[in-house]
Amino acid sequence: MTRFISLVVAALVVVSSLIIYGGTAAAHERRMVGPYQFVVGWLNEPAYVGLMNSLDLRVTDTRVTPAKAVEGLEKTVTADVQSGGLAPLSLTVTARFGTAGAYNGYVMPTATGTYIFHLKGKVEGLDIDEKFESGPGRFGDIEATTALQYPNKVPTANEIGARLGDLQSGIDQTRLLSGAAVVIGVIALGAAFAISRRRA
Amino acid sequence: MRGVLAALVAASVLILMGGAAAAHANYVKSNPASDARLTKPPTEVRVTFSETPDARGSDVAVLDVNSNRVDKHDVTLVSDEPNTLRVSLGAIGDGGYLVSWTTVSAVDGHETKGAFAFAINAPLPAIKDIGPSAPPPSALEIAGRALSYAGMALLTGLAFFTMFIRVPADDAETRRERRLVIVGGAALVAGSALLVLNQGTNIPGRLLLLLALRAFAGVAALLSLAAPPRFLPADARREGIAFLGLAAGLTATLVSHAAASGDLGSVAVDYLHVTAVSIWLGGVVAFAYVAMPSARNADPRQLGATIWRFSLTALVAVAVIISTGTWAAFDRLVLIEDLVETPYGIALLAKIVLLGGLLALGALNLLVWGPRMRRGLTSSAQFWRGVIGETALFAGVLVAAAFLTSFAPPAQANGAAFDETKHSSGIRIELLTATTLPGRNRFVVRVQQGLAPISGAQKVALRFTMVEHDMGEQELVATERAPGEYVAEGSPTAMLGTWKVQVIVRLAGRPDNSALFTVPVSQPAGQEATTKIIAIPPYQLIVFSEPFQPQAGAPLTINVVVVDSKGDPVTGKKVHATFNGPSTAPPLDAIENTAELGPGRYRFTLPGLEAGSWKITIGVSDAGSGVYDLEVSR
Repeated sequence: MTRFISLVVAALVVVSSLIIYGGTAAAHERRMVGPYQFVVGWLNEPAYVGLMNSLDLRVTDTRVTPAKAVEGLEKTVTADVQSGGLAPLSLTVTARFGTAGAYNGYVMPTATGTYIFHLKGKVEGLDIDEKFESGPGRFGDIEATTALQYPNKVPTANEIGARLGDLQSGIDQTRLLSGAAVVIGVIALGAAFAISRRRA
Repeated sequence: MRGVLAALVAASVLILMGGAAAAHANYVKSNPASDARLTKPPTEVRVTFSETPDARGSDVAVLDVNSNRVDKHDVTLVSDEPNTLRVSLGAIGDGGYLVSWTTVSAVDGHETKGAFAFAINAPLPAIKDIGPSAPPPSALEIAGRALSYAGMALLTGLAFFTMFIRVPADDAETRRERRLVIVGGAALVAGSALLVLNQGTNIPGRLLLLLALRAFAGVAALLSLAAPPRFLPADARREGIAFLGLAAGLTATLVSHAAASGDLGSVAVDYLHVTAVSIWLGGVVAFAYVAMPSARNADPRQLGATIWRFSLTALVAVAVIISTGTWAAFDRLVLIEDLVETPYGIALLAKIVLLGGLLALGALNLLVWGPRMRRGLTSSAQFWRGVIGETALFAGVLVAAAFLTSFAPPAQANGAAFDETKHSSGIRIELLTATTLPGRNRFVVRVQQGLAPISGAQKVALRFTMVEHDMGEQELVATERAPGEYVAEGSPTAMLGTWKVQVIVRLAGRPDNSALFTVPVSQPAGQEATTKIIAIPPYQLIVFSEPFQPQAGAPLTINVVVVDSKGDPVTGKKVHATFNGPSTAPPLDAIENTAELGPGRYRFTLPGLEAGSWKITIGVSDAGSGVYDLEVSR
């Protein structure tokens, strides 16, 4: 009887896990690399700009049934993340505590748009070099938080930076105009002085 | 007599406008289509342009992958299809082919060139960089145009000045007036000759006729000086010269970008602009050269009154120039950034700045020196300096106008059903679609930075979402087909409605550039029905084939979008088809692939059908069925 209850509880745990994690995995890209299935996406989806997030990497070996989690990749696989065409940033790949075959690589995205995870190294002796790009049918882009802010809209660091840039540009222009005004004033004074001397 | 002349001018305008369509004959469509993948070789290539090209200077060359010409060199205008050139092909085999075309505008003789590819049972060949589609103008053309405009302005402005502002007071003034007529007439003749020389033997007939008329106006102005005063009194001569100047201006308008639009309103606005500029600029020169030497020692109050009269004329002319110029700018510029990013815009900006300078000097004359002189408070020296400055700026304006009329305006006819340009962080992103019908479409993204096309973008992607219904988000990745031109084909916009298309351009070392376009997808009544809508209550089926015009034996896909009465996509249905046509074809079940195709999208994939008319009965599991007619060509 005890064994039966244990089995039921185990089944419930598995089913509830699938329900809980099913939604998250749907917004991830699944790809077979040799016999290994890679599931890649953001740890927190929808993923928002300016909020701490992480690479969510899960690798399983499909040669056995059920598929077996592949462990130890934090030692053999490197990951970097790239926003658009900018230079990539190396991530520190760490094994996720309590979830075999799952790995993190923390990053705080500071721009909205498309991101690419580049994974390189070895998986149980197999060379891998794969790029996973956010987009439709894959995993989500980094989104703006503007629509979610309430009641006040808080500018992002980028927006504050842009506004400071505009302000600095305005100050520079004012300086330039002031300088020009001083020069014109000096010339006008000189001309007035020269004319008054000639009349005298 | 004047009424007859006016009627003749009006009739000439209408006749000469008849053939005008666009100042640059741009590619609109072709058969085979651009990037067409054929299973059988065509016997000819037809290319349709935005205006009728002049057949003498135009060419369509079909080249194989080794750049050998495989057409029969028999390029002709097609009589049964407007604005279309055709060239015959011999027996050509499988492979990739490049069609390289050059056209000469029948309106202003401007050359335009381009290239596209097609393939027969082979991969599409790369399209080589053939340089700018509209080559920059030659020094000869610029000189010819500047001289022509100077001649028009001198004759028109001088005549108006001597008729309405100040009649020459003495013999010396009359002599200077005659010299200016000689310069104006000679400039018209020389300018027209240079433009004919620039075009060479390929000059379009209409352009030759208008340039000949312009030169004739110059010659007639010169001859009017030789006529004895008893046959041609001074007043009548001035009226005649004004008419010749205005007629020369009309020839400029009739070979302009305005005439190219084919819109009579644009032509009228352009002619007003040319006339106003001529009256103002020519008047300034007449003031400086004819009136100035005599008036220098005259009573400043008399001079002040002349300044007042001329300034009033100039004020009206400036108002006309600003309003007509602004109208034309809105008509021919796409973005405000065009003013600094395109040759046409830069020339326009230069002209605006120079005209601004002229305006400032004119205002100084009107508001400061004129009143002072009328009151006898000041000498005329400052005023003369202003007039000399205006004359120098006048020359600059003419050169800027010569460049302006030589360059292709950014707003160009291209035959695209949707064409919009956006600016994103200094990058110019233009989206063009072949049609705005639902179903398969060809999306062209042109990427430019400043004046240069951006080649080698890491990625150009288009993402599609529908506004009215949740059809998911789909992505097409474009490939570079020509420098700065990225092309994607597919059928993400399968539904009638409003689609948001986000174009993402990825360049090395930069964040993604992104522009959002709103593309309406509709099927107007009367337009060729490439997509059929079949009602199977409670559903509606939107059905289209890929390719639109299937060929016998070639792989074929039939796409079905199933929507409910609200227009929302319907998923999880069994959609099946039976085929009735020239031969037997087995029934098929459609594949639903929401992840790849989007919700409510079903697809039948066929290896090929025999040529002829097919009736395809499409059924939905819990509803009825409807018939989709499909014509398969040989």
